[in-house]
Amino acid sequence: MNQIVLPVVLPLLAAFLMQPLARVSGLLARVLGPLVLGLSALILVRLWLDFGEAPFTVAIGGFAPPLGIVFYADHLALMFALAVPVFTLLFWPGLGEGELDPDRRARRDALVLLLAASCTGLALSGDLFNIYVFYELAAVATFGLATLTGTARSQVATVRYLLISAFGSALALVGISILYMLTGTLNLGHLAQLAPHTLQGPLGLASFALMLIGFGVKAELFPLNAWVPEVYATAPARVSALLAGLVSKLAVLVVVRLLVLVFHQPEPAQLLMVLGLLSILTGELAAWRAKDFPRMIAFSSIGQLGIVFIAFSISGDAGLLAGIAVALHHLIVKSALFGLAARWNGSLDALAGAARRAPLAAGLYVLFALSLIGVPPLPGFWAKLLVLVGLAQGGSTLQLFALISVLLVTAVEASYLFRVAVRLYGQSDSPPAPPARWDLGAAAALGAVLIGVTLTTAPVADHLRNVAHQAGNAALYVDTVFPKTVAQKD
Amino acid sequence: MIEFSPMISVEGVIYAGAIGLVAIGALGLVLCSHLFRMLLALEIAESGANLLLVLTGFRGDSVAPIIGYGPAGAPMVDPLPQVLVLTAIVIGVGVQAMAASMLIRIYRTYGTLEMAELRRRMELDTAAAAGIPAPTSAQAPAGGRPLPPVPAFRPTHAARVRES
Repeated sequence: MNQIVLPVVLPLLAAFLMQPLARVSGLLARVLGPLVLGLSALILVRLWLDFGEAPFTVAIGGFAPPLGIVFYADHLALMFALAVPVFTLLFWPGLGEGELDPDRRARRDALVLLLAASCTGLALSGDLFNIYVFYELAAVATFGLATLTGTARSQVATVRYLLISAFGSALALVGISILYMLTGTLNLGHLAQLAPHTLQGPLGLASFALMLIGFGVKAELFPLNAWVPEVYATAPARVSALLAGLVSKLAVLVVVRLLVLVFHQPEPAQLLMVLGLLSILTGELAAWRAKDFPRMIAFSSIGQLGIVFIAFSISGDAGLLAGIAVALHHLIVKSALFGLAARWNGSLDALAGAARRAPLAAGLYVLFALSLIGVPPLPGFWAKLLVLVGLAQGGSTLQLFALISVLLVTAVEASYLFRVAVRLYGQSDSPPAPPARWDLGAAAALGAVLIGVTLTTAPVADHLRNVAHQAGNAALYVDTVFPKTVAQKD
Repeated sequence: MIEFSPMISVEGVIYAGAIGLVAIGALGLVLCSHLFRMLLALEIAESGANLLLVLTGFRGDSVAPIIGYGPAGAPMVDPLPQVLVLTAIVIGVGVQAMAASMLIRIYRTYGTLEMAELRRRMELDTAAAAGIPAPTSAQAPAGGRPLPPVPAFRPTHAARVRES
C-alpha cells in the first residue's frame, strides 16, 4: 500500500539523476526514463488489480492528517494515476525522432519525468498545498517541453502561456490563503468536514472562483485558454498530446475534488456551467474556422473540455459519471489525434490524398472523428448521451440552454471533422508524409482501446458508475482520511 | 495591535496592501505591451499573493514561532503559512527565471519584446511553417507581404513568405 508513493518518487529521483547519468553512460540515461515509468505503471496496475472496495490513504512520512500530507487512492485517483505513465510512455516527446546529443536528450527526459511525477502527485494528493506544488511543477515541466523545438515562435507562445499560468497560480494562492484564513487547514478531508460551517458566505465562493482561475488555466477553461491554440501549434505534437490529453484532465480532476468535497453550494456549479458553455461555443466555432490541423484539434479540445465542465457541474452521481466518461474519452481520442497530427501539421488543404499513403492513419482518424462527434455505438456517443440526459434531468433554464448548445456544437464538430475526412480520402498529386511509426502505433493502440470499450460498453459503464459513486461520496473520503475519530480544528 | 483608529489596524493596512499588489500586477499584465514589464507585473502579483498568505498567520502582539524566543506562554504567529510561502516564493523564482531566459531568446531572434509585434510575427511564422496564407491584418492587408528590413537582428526564416 505504501507503494503508492513510488510512482511519484521514482520519476522525481530519476529526473534529477538523469543529467549526471548521461555523462557517465549514455545507454543507461536513454533507457532510465522509460524504465522508471514502466515500473510506475506496473506498480499502479498491481495496486489497481488488488484494489478492493474501500479507498485507502497513505500518510507521507508517517505524519497523520490534518497536519501531515496524505495520498488518497480511490478508483478515480488510481485510474488517472495509471493513465499518467501509460500515456507518457505512448507519447514520449522526441522518442525515436532522431539523434540529439546526450545532454539535450537527458534534459528532455528529465522534463518528461518531472511531468509524469507531478501529474501522478496531482491525481493522488489529498492536501491542497501539495496539489498546488505539484501543479506548479507540472507547469514548469510543460514550459520546458513546449519549447523543445527551439524555434522562436514556440518561445513566444510559451512565454504567453507562462504569464497566464503564473498569474492564475498567484490567484489560486490567494484563494488558498482565503481558505486557510476561514478554516485553518489545507487538508482536503478536514476541509470537507469544516466546509458546511465556514465556507458558506461570499468569501468561500470567492476562494473557489480564484482557485478555479488558477487550476482552470491548464484545464483550458474560458477565458484562460488564450494560450491553447498558439502553444499547441508551435509545440511538438507529442507534447501537445500530453498537454491536451493528460495534464488538462488532471487539472479538471483537482477542480472536481474541490467541488465534491469542499464547495457544496450551487453557485460554484453554476459558475462552472457558464464557463463551460462559453468554452464550448468559442472553442468549437473557432475550430470550424481553423486552417491547419493542429490548431483545429486544439480548438476542438477547448470545446470538449467545456463539455467536461458542463458535465461535472451537474449535481450528483449522474454528473460525475458523465464527466468522467467524457474526460476519459477525450483523453484517449485527443491524444491519438495529436499523435496523428505530428506529420500532418500543414494546412488542411495539404492533407488531401493522405489516405493513399497512410490508410491506417486515415481510418483511425475517421474512427476518432466519429467517436468525438458521438456516433453510436462508439464510446463518445455514450459519454455525450450521459451529459445530455443529465442536463435534461436537471431542467433549469441554464441546463436546458447548455443542452441546446451541446447539440448545436455537435453539428459544428461534425462539419469540420468530416471536412478533413473528405479531404483525406480525396485525390492529390502530393499527399503529405504518413505519420511516423511510433505515433501511428500509439494512435492504433488507442484506437484498439476505443474499439475494445465499444465491444464491452456495459461492464465499462458499470465500473465507471462505481468509480463515480465512490468519488462523489464525500463522507467516505472523510472517514477514510480520519478513521474512527473526528479531528478537531485546533 | 496598534490601533490608529477604531476602523484601521496594522493588519488591515497590510491586507489592503497585499490585495493592492495583486491588483497592480493584474492591471500591469493586462495593460502593458512590453514583455519585460508584463514579467515584472507578474512578479508584483506573486509578491502580493505571498504576502497575503503570510498574513493569514499573523496575530497581533505575537512573537516569532521559535521556542524560547519570547516570554513563556506568549502567543506565536502561525508558522504554517510561513513555510507555505517559502515554497511559493521558490516556485515563483523558478518560473520567473524560466520566463527571463525565454525573453532573452525571443529578443535575440525577433529583436523586439513588444507583445503585439511578437504575436504578429509568431502568427506569420506559424502560418509560414504550416504553409497556409498568413492572417491578414492592417499591417499586411494582402497577407504575406515581406517584412520591412530591421537592421538590428539577423533575418530569420520568417523573412521567407509566400506570395499571396
